[in-house]
Amino acid sequence: MRAKRTGWPATLALELWLPVVLVIVWWFASSASTSVYFPPLSSILTSFAHDWLDPVGLAKNLVPSLQLLALGYSLALVSGIVVGTVLGLVGGLERATRPLLETLRAIPGVALLPIFIVLFGIDVQMKLLLIAFGSFWPVLLNTIDGVRGIEPLLLDVSRVFRVGRVRRLVSIILPGASPQIFAGARTALAISLIIMVVSETVGGNGGVGYFLLAAQRNFAISSMWGAILALGILGYLLNIVFRIIERMVLRWHRLQQARLESHS
Amino acid sequence: MTGLDLSRSVTSSSSSVRRVVRVTAQIGVLALALVVWWYGSVSLPTGVMPSPVDTFATLGGFALTPHFWATVWETVWTFLVALVICTVVGVPLGLAIGSSRIATQSTRLVFDFLRTIPPIAILPLVLLIFGPTFEMVLVVVVLGAIWPILIQSVYAAQQGEPLLTEMSRSFRVPRRWFITRIFFPGSLPFIMTGLRVGTTICLLLTITGELLSGAPGIGFEIADAKNFLDTPRMYAYVLVSALLGLIVNGVFWIVQRRVLRWHASNRQDAAA
Repeated sequence: MRAKRTGWPATLALELWLPVVLVIVWWFASSASTSVYFPPLSSILTSFAHDWLDPVGLAKNLVPSLQLLALGYSLALVSGIVVGTVLGLVGGLERATRPLLETLRAIPGVALLPIFIVLFGIDVQMKLLLIAFGSFWPVLLNTIDGVRGIEPLLLDVSRVFRVGRVRRLVSIILPGASPQIFAGARTALAISLIIMVVSETVGGNGGVGYFLLAAQRNFAISSMWGAILALGILGYLLNIVFRIIERMVLRWHRLQQARLESHS
Repeated sequence: MTGLDLSRSVTSSSSSVRRVVRVTAQIGVLALALVVWWYGSVSLPTGVMPSPVDTFATLGGFALTPHFWATVWETVWTFLVALVICTVVGVPLGLAIGSSRIATQSTRLVFDFLRTIPPIAILPLVLLIFGPTFEMVLVVVVLGAIWPILIQSVYAAQQGEPLLTEMSRSFRVPRRWFITRIFFPGSLPFIMTGLRVGTTICLLLTITGELLSGAPGIGFEIADAKNFLDTPRMYAYVLVSALLGLIVNGVFWIVQRRVLRWHASNRQDAAA
């Protein structure tokens, strides 16, 4: 607990010095660069501002991606939690479907892109389904584990007190499984981001993937570096949002852990 | 609670009956999935979805050709080299950083940021630099898969039992002894967690890289089959990629059990 005694300015300085130094080193090391592939940071930032901070660029490059991601990811979350809860509660069904699920899960999401193109075309629906299919598995398997891992005593007690099915689901089973569900949802978020970029390289709906492909075809190296930067920032922000939601939802879990630790 | 009592008093013969029921049910579900697949293939326009029979026949024909095995080996080799690089660089670096609070805090933001860049984002750039080659796929895979291994190793270094650390200090245990007998075994379970995630990502990115760039391997065959609308070949190679994933998971599981045989989670397993 030594970390708590040092003040927050010291902690902040400790966390920030390396990123700042790296950016400065990058700036000066690349400022006179004539290499085609490693342009000066200044020109990368110029294309970044043009492609990602300008409202027109933002609407064309980022908004379609975010819509796709939000829909596909939500689809995976809802279906993964629903199916996972059912399979977690009905042990026989879970055991019977396990080999099939493991096989389907082992298919790399991106490998299905050609199959999905042939089946569903190159429109938004195909991309949605591909994102949902690829990120469904971590949510599903973690939900199953979470539901199965619920303290049996809790379920017995709720049965003794004749707690209704719906209430048992909402106030015992889902909260009990939620730490696991969040772990799966975090993995699923990273996967859906990858599949989003890949699926956007086909068809012409705009988005980050489309932008990257166009930049590559035009040999626009600075734009490609700008897009990498933009995707890094997007991923970082999404992670922060995810962490905030997780903290809010799992507040009870943290409090309970803390209470358990103070008792032991 | 009579059900509970009954299940406690079951004999070994009824538990083997239960296993037979379970395996039958599992085979039934797999068979049902094949029937659904077959139904899809006959109800869709011809050429859109091959039937399971066509797919497995194609796969069986491939298994006799050296080209198929060369393709699979290409993917497996890239995957293995990438995994070894990620492990050899990521684990020691992560443990070293994790042993120092200053190093951990200094690198936290940088690692967090680099980790969240989807590795696919750098693919077009790396493709321009290297062309569709083994090296190109390797760079993408390593840059994408090293972060879970590295970050989990940083975390692992901080999970040692404090009592053991203090005790070895008061008994003046030599430093080398401490690292090899106490520090490293103590962090190993957490390192393995990172390696498991890293292994999955390595395989995923290897196939993705081949598929998008045209570097030789399973991914390329899938993309190539799609260009010729050769759907049986496409499905056969997707099936191969799933099998490869299953094998890699299985091998990892075996290795983990061997490496962590002494660990409590496995000891309990063995007793049960």
